[in-house]
Amino acid sequence: MFHLLRLPRKLAASLALACIATLAQANDVIRIGWLSSLTGPLSSAAQAENQGVQLAVAEINAAGGINGRKLELLTRDTAGDPTKAVNLAQQLAFSEKVHFIIGPVNSGEGLGATPVIARAGVPNLVIGALEELTDPVKYPRAFRLINTNRQWISTANNYALKTLKRSRIALIGDTTGYGTASAKTATEMLEAAGVKPVYTVLVDPNKTDLTDELAKARAAGADVIMPWSAATGLVGRLLNARGDMGWNVPVVGHTALMAPQIRKLLNKPEYWENVVAAGYASTTFGADGKLPPATAALMEKVRSRIAPGGGEIELLFWWVAMGYDCVKVIEHAVKAAGGTDPAAIQKALENTRELRGVFANYSWSPTDRNGFPDGDMVPNIANTLRDGAFKLAR
Amino acid sequence: MLSALVAGLATGAVFAATALAYNVMFSTSKVLSVTTGHLPMLGGVAGAYVIAGLGLPWWLGLLAAMGTGALFGLLTELVAIRRVLARSDEHLWLLSTLALATMVQQAVGLWWGTEPRPFPRLIPQDFSAGLADQKFWLPIALAVAMAGGLELFYSRTMAGKLFVAMSEDAFAARARGIPTDRIRVASYALAGALGGLAGFAAGQLTFAYFALGLTLTLNGFIALAVGGLGSNVGALIGGFALGLLNALASYWFGGEYQQTIAVGLLMVVLLVKPEGLLGSKQVRPV
Amino acid sequence: MSAEHRRLGLAALLALGAATLPFWAADQYQLHLATLIAAYWVLIGGLNLVVGYAGQLSIGHVGLLSIGAYAFAILAGKAGLHPALAVAASGALCGIAGLLLGLPSLRLPGFYFAMATMAVALIVGEVVLAQGELTGGGVGLPVPGFPAPFDSPAGFYWLTAAAAAVVTWLTWNVARRMQGRGLIAIRDSVVTAQAVGVPVLGAKLRAFVFSGVCAGVGGSLFAALQSYITPDTFHFELSLFFFVCIIIGGRGGILGPFLGVVVLTALPELVSPLAKLGNFFYGLLLLAVVLVVPEGIGRVFELVAARLKPRPVESVPVQPDLPRLARALRSNR
Repeated sequence: MFHLLRLPRKLAASLALACIATLAQANDVIRIGWLSSLTGPLSSAAQAENQGVQLAVAEINAAGGINGRKLELLTRDTAGDPTKAVNLAQQLAFSEKVHFIIGPVNSGEGLGATPVIARAGVPNLVIGALEELTDPVKYPRAFRLINTNRQWISTANNYALKTLKRSRIALIGDTTGYGTASAKTATEMLEAAGVKPVYTVLVDPNKTDLTDELAKARAAGADVIMPWSAATGLVGRLLNARGDMGWNVPVVGHTALMAPQIRKLLNKPEYWENVVAAGYASTTFGADGKLPPATAALMEKVRSRIAPGGGEIELLFWWVAMGYDCVKVIEHAVKAAGGTDPAAIQKALENTRELRGVFANYSWSPTDRNGFPDGDMVPNIANTLRDGAFKLAR
Repeated sequence: MLSALVAGLATGAVFAATALAYNVMFSTSKVLSVTTGHLPMLGGVAGAYVIAGLGLPWWLGLLAAMGTGALFGLLTELVAIRRVLARSDEHLWLLSTLALATMVQQAVGLWWGTEPRPFPRLIPQDFSAGLADQKFWLPIALAVAMAGGLELFYSRTMAGKLFVAMSEDAFAARARGIPTDRIRVASYALAGALGGLAGFAAGQLTFAYFALGLTLTLNGFIALAVGGLGSNVGALIGGFALGLLNALASYWFGGEYQQTIAVGLLMVVLLVKPEGLLGSKQVRPV
Repeated sequence: MSAEHRRLGLAALLALGAATLPFWAADQYQLHLATLIAAYWVLIGGLNLVVGYAGQLSIGHVGLLSIGAYAFAILAGKAGLHPALAVAASGALCGIAGLLLGLPSLRLPGFYFAMATMAVALIVGEVVLAQGELTGGGVGLPVPGFPAPFDSPAGFYWLTAAAAAVVTWLTWNVARRMQGRGLIAIRDSVVTAQAVGVPVLGAKLRAFVFSGVCAGVGGSLFAALQSYITPDTFHFELSLFFFVCIIIGGRGGILGPFLGVVVLTALPELVSPLAKLGNFFYGLLLLAVVLVVPEGIGRVFELVAARLKPRPVESVPVQPDLPRLARALRSNR
């Protein structure tokens, strides 16, 4: 009730503020909209990315901004709901008149929000992996920083087929949107490589036991299991079933396989052995046991934020690095374009080659909106998670 | 195949236990509470928190699971049932329990997180036990014991007979001097404790997961409707049948049509035999 | 009578405000929200007859919304049908779906019906995912917009608002005639309704099929507004949202649920902490309304208005016919 009464005054105040602000800020502040699913399902990635985004904004502002213009971050929580994401994208683009929009985090939200942002003509940094999120014709100002789903799948496929030299593949997807889509793409890509999975199944993400599916895979003669599911509960059960059966078959697949939560869901720590997932060169320890210098430097800067007491980092660090890079890409684009004119920004990003970021080195072109290079993606050994990073799988 | 059957029976046992909790509350209040499925969810989360989170022994976890369930049962009665039953509108309890269920699920999600978390091992046993694993037989044994215990409770104890009296005719029971309000409160606490216990026993199977509640509310209800409202043996049969059907459907056809098949069963049973397999026809519209 | 007039006046004022909204809305975002509210209202207006009038607690209407949205996306997008035809077709399809769902489930008592509708919503979600060839599976489908003059935000708003107005007019007509009275009678007591000759199942079924058609049209407009639909768009909480709007607004009215939709759509957008609490907030609101004012928030305003209005004190003079009374008394003795 009180909110209702207070609302008009609050609204009026904020409107007035907004008016003053737009007048004063037109040339001063660079407004960045950040569509983040800070709550709701799959919030862990968004929260980690948020740390990187916030750090980069604070750093740039402390250094005097970009070309003397300070950054203003407008964070909006979409709670993982596509309808909310579309609403908030409209709000950021038309009401708040931001210069850039980062996000949304989940591909499902992005499919709805990206066309809206494209219609508003606002430069959009895409951090969802689904192929359909970028298109140089339909969404000319949407530039992707993260890898595509195909890059994930091909990294895993390459490892299974070339490194392990195994081709009797059992493909396991879940019945969510992401799971079914990825299982389909993975099947297509394997068939393109001349391999037909010996066993394919889609499983309800809350199914309590996967012994059957694995028994069937074993009976079909599978020698590698490839799960494509972002549901940590399902992945945990899959690894448990494999361990309980005493079947030491390699598991190669989605990054969820190496999420920190998995470790806790396993019956025994050794069930995490022989598991490889598609990861990133930037968060992979080299032969000398060290991370790439840019990653290590960023890690020390954020350690106090994300690991209280300066201990080990308990989340996947590449999310932080990618969030940080999003803001850094904005900095690069504004500098290259000499301002925040959307068309000039598009031009500047289209002509970006080998921009060195922490997460990856990005290149976009007039016909390619996927900035993440194949080479920055590597297979990781899941149970080598230490301090947010992994060892390379050979 | 055998493992599909065992896993199906174990999942079915959780549905059956939920159906039993429905029955206990229904007997005294004629209310089917939307919060029923959230009782096992709370039991699982409370158990996991006490044992794995606080590092306390398993029996304290058991107490916490049952206590949390019972408390939530009491809360349901107090907030969502009592005031609403005093009004003569028969739909209101659906709304109030739905509201409470939504709130508790969201609150647990905010506090516990939206990812499933592990439930600790209760009895020392090697994980290679296969089908003899405790995660399967604990819920199965518990559901059977719960149904048997409830039957004994209803037929042998004074309190149980009061429950039965109330379920037959609450007004007559009241006229005979039975404190119906207090009995109803007791039944909600009992249902809560049993639901929490079920969640505790099934924790290793389901993980401690905040979104479990609504699925169990639906599946427990299907088990109940198939077995016959009010019948404990029916609840048991309905639960196991549903669990097996789910498991076999997913064994033969994959996971894509699991819900469709389960709900198809519900609709068929309701069309052919609306009172369920073991339910009694009680038509009392006026 | 004056209350009726005032309500009509209020409705006219609302209609005027809604019709001119594109001229005074501050920006496209507000227009988008208004269009969203109108699209929701197309569905909720129909659902209102089922939930608010007939008292059948359908918590699974998101299933019908999803069927309507996908039907529109497939017909207008893949099959290349004219959007107007596609809207009509998806309305008809959802009407049939409503008939098929209602025929068995409307015979069931309250809780059974609620669970059956919820289950159907889950089934629709599952089928949409499984039929990837048709629906795009997890990736979803792009949805085409409407041709000119409805291709601009303002144009599309007017189209949606017009659909919402038609639904409102239809429900209003139903509500104040025999049909509506019959539905209320069913809600309050099935036995009494039967006793006075209301065809219970037929009346419920008609309302449910109507709500299905509305869901189909609403789903089409919603999909066109979103411009892309995925299975994630049609989550179960959306169903809960529709349902809560009606209950909170007040059952057995049209203005109340409409205000419910407006407030519950706009409030989380304006007050961000509420968005974070999301469903908890809806649950709390629902509980508060059920416990304190089961008639809905709309009723609160009426009560407050009645309390504030000075009531003219009527004096009823009693003038007995004394001689007759005396005669009667005497004759009795």
